[in-house]
Amino acid sequence: MAEPILEVRDLVKHYPLTQGILFRKQIGAVRAVDGVDFALGRGETLGIVGESGCGKSTVAKMLVNLERPTGGSIRYKGEDITRLSGRALKAVRRNIQMVFQDPYTSLNPRMTVGDIIGEPYDIHPEVAPKGDRRRKVQELLDVVGLNPEYVNRYPHQFSGGQRQRIGIARGLALRPEVIVADEPVSALDVSVQAQVVNLMDRLQSEFGLAYVFIAHDLSIVRHISDRVAVMYLGRIVETGTDTEIYEHPTHPYTQALLSAVPVPDPEAREHRERIILTGDVPSPTNIPSGCRFRTRCWKARGTDAETGRWRSTATGRWTDAETGRWRSTATGRGDMAAPRPVYGTRTAVR
Amino acid sequence: MLLEVRDLHVEFRTRDGIARAVNGVSYGVDAGETLAVLGESGSGKSVTAQAVMGILDIPPGRITGGEVIFQGRDLLKLKEEERRRVRGAEMAMIFQDALSSLNPVISVGDQLAEMFTVHRGMSRKDARAKAVELMDRVRIPAARERVRQYPHQFSGGMRQRIMIAMALALEPALIIADEPTTALDVTVQAQVMELLAELQRELRMGLILITHDLGVVADVADRIAVMYAGRIVESAPVHDIYKAPAHPYTRGLLDSIPRLDQKGQELYAIKGLPPSLTHIPPGCAFHPRCPLARDVCRTDEPPLYEVSATRGSACHFWRECLNG
Amino acid sequence: MPDGRHEEEQAIAGTGMGGTMDLGVDEAETLEKRPEGPDGSGPQDKPRSLWSDAWRDLRRNPVFILSGLVILFLVFISLWPSAITSGSPLKCDLSKAQEGSQSGHPFGFDGQGCDVYTRTVYGARTSVAVGVLATLGVAVLGSVLGALAGFFGGISDSVLSRITDVFFAIPVVLGGLVLLSVITSNTIWPVIGFIVLLGWPQISRIARGAVITAKQNDYVQAARALGASNSRLVLRHIAPNAVAPVIVVATIALGTYIALEATLSYLGVGLKPPSVSWGIDISAASPYVRNAPHALLWPSGALAITVLAFIMLGDAVRDALDPKLR
Repeated sequence: MAEPILEVRDLVKHYPLTQGILFRKQIGAVRAVDGVDFALGRGETLGIVGESGCGKSTVAKMLVNLERPTGGSIRYKGEDITRLSGRALKAVRRNIQMVFQDPYTSLNPRMTVGDIIGEPYDIHPEVAPKGDRRRKVQELLDVVGLNPEYVNRYPHQFSGGQRQRIGIARGLALRPEVIVADEPVSALDVSVQAQVVNLMDRLQSEFGLAYVFIAHDLSIVRHISDRVAVMYLGRIVETGTDTEIYEHPTHPYTQALLSAVPVPDPEAREHRERIILTGDVPSPTNIPSGCRFRTRCWKARGTDAETGRWRSTATGRWTDAETGRWRSTATGRGDMAAPRPVYGTRTAVR
Repeated sequence: MLLEVRDLHVEFRTRDGIARAVNGVSYGVDAGETLAVLGESGSGKSVTAQAVMGILDIPPGRITGGEVIFQGRDLLKLKEEERRRVRGAEMAMIFQDALSSLNPVISVGDQLAEMFTVHRGMSRKDARAKAVELMDRVRIPAARERVRQYPHQFSGGMRQRIMIAMALALEPALIIADEPTTALDVTVQAQVMELLAELQRELRMGLILITHDLGVVADVADRIAVMYAGRIVESAPVHDIYKAPAHPYTRGLLDSIPRLDQKGQELYAIKGLPPSLTHIPPGCAFHPRCPLARDVCRTDEPPLYEVSATRGSACHFWRECLNG
Repeated sequence: MPDGRHEEEQAIAGTGMGGTMDLGVDEAETLEKRPEGPDGSGPQDKPRSLWSDAWRDLRRNPVFILSGLVILFLVFISLWPSAITSGSPLKCDLSKAQEGSQSGHPFGFDGQGCDVYTRTVYGARTSVAVGVLATLGVAVLGSVLGALAGFFGGISDSVLSRITDVFFAIPVVLGGLVLLSVITSNTIWPVIGFIVLLGWPQISRIARGAVITAKQNDYVQAARALGASNSRLVLRHIAPNAVAPVIVVATIALGTYIALEATLSYLGVGLKPPSVSWGIDISAASPYVRNAPHALLWPSGALAITVLAFIMLGDAVRDALDPKLR
């Protein structure tokens, strides 16, 4: 992996559940994010996949400082940004920008496209001198494939795909190094999704951007990502390069997730082996003891033990699958054949 | 043929004039067959289904032409009273959003039981027993206990199972499922889709599956009708379409799915955007976005050409498209 | 026109359709909500804000035109009453008391022998002034407090919400009788002050809700992620999107405030003679309604039409600003 630009260590976000009106007492917590680690290299794309409620959007919000973590650290170029405020925070924000899921709610309907894309310059006037802004905005429109003459139009005059381009242009305005994209194409029409994915791909090589690309569409994540992290109930359960995850998933949840994705090939349906999970995702207020996937895992055995974490030396890959299950689910793979325990065998991860 | 839609036209009055949502759609479903209607938003796939079910909002909607032949009768000519008897008992619908389709203040057991007391005139006790039986059938664990619970106490996947149970209650001959799994997570989606397919096989129902997901279609459909701007642009058995699409729009959709060997390359993308239904382009509606478009496409609307006995394509150049 | 350009135009025409993934069931509704004009395919380089869209809608709404004309007329006669009447509302001739319509005095005379037509015209000034000023006060106070509560939430919100509840619990007429009876000043200000005091919680509640709704939109999050300050978030992103419901409610409230002023004056705690107000005239005319119904009819008719005009205007504005509510 390239030199990490963003390093996330043991990130936790708990929302307290309180009772009582006057004397609030905490009766529990929604453990939305419960110990997430990853690193993002310069110019790299990390895909984060997982089902709704797994905490992936909360991770995204913490990365761009819209939510304050309950614990853990986010290091941007070595500096922990979770404790910053004021001027220092504003400076970091320039470098980490976000693209939102819903192009209908992420653009202010009362502002023109020019004002929306130019707003970053109002907030960070040091980036572009006043006289230069209109030209810069038009350049950005051009970069994302929209007619520069549209600066005076309003968002409702555009379709979903075009609005998402406007959102991307706003994200690019300050020339950030990292863009966090939370489901950037899932609200778009199928035939428009590919256009936006291509645009993001092109911008990455043009501007040397690093992406955290959050999505539930596994095929798009695979297409755009260099590395993939799979989240379940607030925790990354497995991470690796796209090939490792998609070709040789080692965690039973990853295996189930991949096998559940409908494949657009009718020939495959007869001889496809699908793992259909039983039950639903447990509530994040009441996470199962031990391995958090055990309530739905077909390989689970009657133990409450925490999972071990296994790390591969070469690629920085790791998985939460426990030894016995690991062996039985994994098929012969190069560097993963002899996993090296990171935190010791069968001990708590944290 | 269990259901045959012939040359259906539906319009909506909007603030900007007439939106032609459905422009001459014809399709058919046999008993035990699954027809997938594939299309993007605004393609008219849901409006067609609503017209078939008789739940179209009129106004602003208006059926301006066509026939819906169900078990030998034209439903559009029936009185509302008769329509209502067909609905629920002989054809049923499953919606995308199960939470808003269930009544939040009535227990799921009572909602299921109501189907039997109203349509079959059963006693409350028998109906209740039937409700438990149905919930068992859609594999809701601990059905006997959960029958008294309210919709919000169920997860998304479980609610969709309850919707399926309601649709199946009276063993209809035809089920229309409008994006039944779109709102669900991938792993739950697989459970629900499999359940639906299995019950359909078991009861030999006709199933119209409305979706935008090419993956889901490939998994369960027998035939596909691809819709664009209110028309069917291609109709074929599922294997044929995925092997070699005969319409440039279908081809574009299939090509824009990310594939392994394309990693690091540009995805294929259909250029442009779907048209507005108030301003459908003349000629072939797809021509502004079509790589094969020529002059004739801008002026002449292509009929559904017969590609083979079981297959049709509304493209002047379907031969070219078929050969890649 | 080159091909690419054409495509873009069509794309623009497709606004609202192309975006959402697949809310099939809502397709009809989506069509309804499309904010496009009938000139969708025409040249569209003119920027069109939601306000100008709303204005275009309003211009075609007969209810708006009718109520707008009535209100314009009211404003006109309250500014220049002498333009349509030459008399003075205070020049009365007891000998003509309760007389009916006659030349030069189309509405007849009231119990004091004052010209009903002149008094009705001059009464408009009081009503419009009280309505407009009270609404302004209510709108400013209510929306500032409501916006603060909605934006910051937490303790300040809880405290403000409780205060709002307390004010809601005060019966308007009873409160007016108690509070205004101790005031001797015979100007419109005590009445305005009283209306503002009791009226702001209504607007503050609306503003709070609107701000909370607007605050949750992704564009506010997006601005926050850019490092925007709180004042920028409120002034640039939240206020413009929360102001519509406040305007609507304020317009409708304006009508009711005019009625309230008349009520208070009728009860003798609002304006008192020699001030001129529809409420005073209605009150004065009611004892001898059998002998001179016209003296009651004209001021009450004017009051009813005025109140109705403002309420209808508010309705039309709401329809234009938020088609979903229709």
